[in-house]
Amino acid sequence: MTAAFLIQTIVSALAVFALVGLAAWLGRPKASAPLDEAAARRLFAEELPGADIDAVWIAPDGKSALARSGDAALIAYRAGDGFVVREAPLSVLSAARLQDGRALLSLDDVAAPRAVFALPTGAPWPPRALVS
Amino acid sequence: MKLDPVTLATPFFILAIVLEIVLARLGKAKAAYEWRDVRTSLLMGLGSTVAGVLTGGIAVAATLYVYRFHLFDIPMNAWWAWVLIFFLEDFAYYVFHRLSHERRIWWASHVNHHTSQHYNLTTALRQTWTGGLALTWLPWLPLALIGFPPAMIAIEKGVSLVYQFWIHTEAIDRLPKPIEAVFNTPSHHRVHHARNPRYLDKNYAGILIIWDKLFGTFEPERAEEPVRYGVVKNLGDFNILRVSFHEWIAIGRDLLRDPRHALGYLFGPPGWSPDGSRQTSAEIKAAWRRRTAEAS
Repeated sequence: MTAAFLIQTIVSALAVFALVGLAAWLGRPKASAPLDEAAARRLFAEELPGADIDAVWIAPDGKSALARSGDAALIAYRAGDGFVVREAPLSVLSAARLQDGRALLSLDDVAAPRAVFALPTGAPWPPRALVS
Repeated sequence: MKLDPVTLATPFFILAIVLEIVLARLGKAKAAYEWRDVRTSLLMGLGSTVAGVLTGGIAVAATLYVYRFHLFDIPMNAWWAWVLIFFLEDFAYYVFHRLSHERRIWWASHVNHHTSQHYNLTTALRQTWTGGLALTWLPWLPLALIGFPPAMIAIEKGVSLVYQFWIHTEAIDRLPKPIEAVFNTPSHHRVHHARNPRYLDKNYAGILIIWDKLFGTFEPERAEEPVRYGVVKNLGDFNILRVSFHEWIAIGRDLLRDPRHALGYLFGPPGWSPDGSRQTSAEIKAAWRRRTAEAS
């Protein structure tokens, strides 16, 4: 690598830092309200069309939702100002790790390996509505 | 001084991004900015420059080698040569881009460009780190064989890349019809970045949209169906290593699990699986068409 390239890379890195700062300061993210049941159903219908939803559970912070569709769990959680949605076997719910008032779900997916759900204080896990 | 259109245009890129952020803030332009998404896009751009230096030698060496056998002597100072390479390079880009969506081995290096759930000018800079190693420069080799000097090919590729920067925006709605008819525009390219089934695998153009119209891959943006950006299965976070390598790792896992179907996993369309348990774009579109027909 030449000195010129090194200087160009350093200046570019400084520009990246400045632009990220500007975006954090002035940038307007997409409006995304906390999930409620209707919003979660719309999200699942849009992302996983054709899945029949038996029951829906919304995390208390509105940042994530779960649904049961037969033997499958439908999973939605916020990433930035968007949502990530996956379908997984229902067994991922009972295999979740509980820690600091959150449920951590391991997904067999390198693009989205883990989903985190805030839990209501003292509530059972998995949510009864989804496994009963 | 070396003529590199991308380097020359970089100050313009930065100013345009600042302008888009400020105008959106003032309510004068449509543009959503999420800072972690911006960070990922810009770091991918920076990393792509470094990767280009580390791996670009392969493409340069291959181009120089092929040029040794060139069929015609095409001078760099002839106007007609620049007109000719404008069209031929743009067609090479179309071929590269279409294959990068339709064959998983090239999709693995191109998918990073589509992982943002946003569509703003920083998305344009979310460039590949692995394209050089995946040999995605192959479609440009025939230009060297025809006789275009390698420097000329490099400059025209740079021109195309610079052109494609400004079309990554929601701030511009539609341009006058004659421009929309011939050129790749923000509207056409929004469709390309969509994950709505109707829009999947459409509008591969670089500068001219004519190739999509010629080869049946054109789809106009429809007001009644707003574009949803990203990939069919969006990424779970903003980690640049995940953005760069997730599809390569997924391919590796598939090959380890079932090496008998290596050819399908590598050269089949993204989403291909031997048991049909996953969906390709064509299957997603077919299912969407069935649902639409049943609903109407």
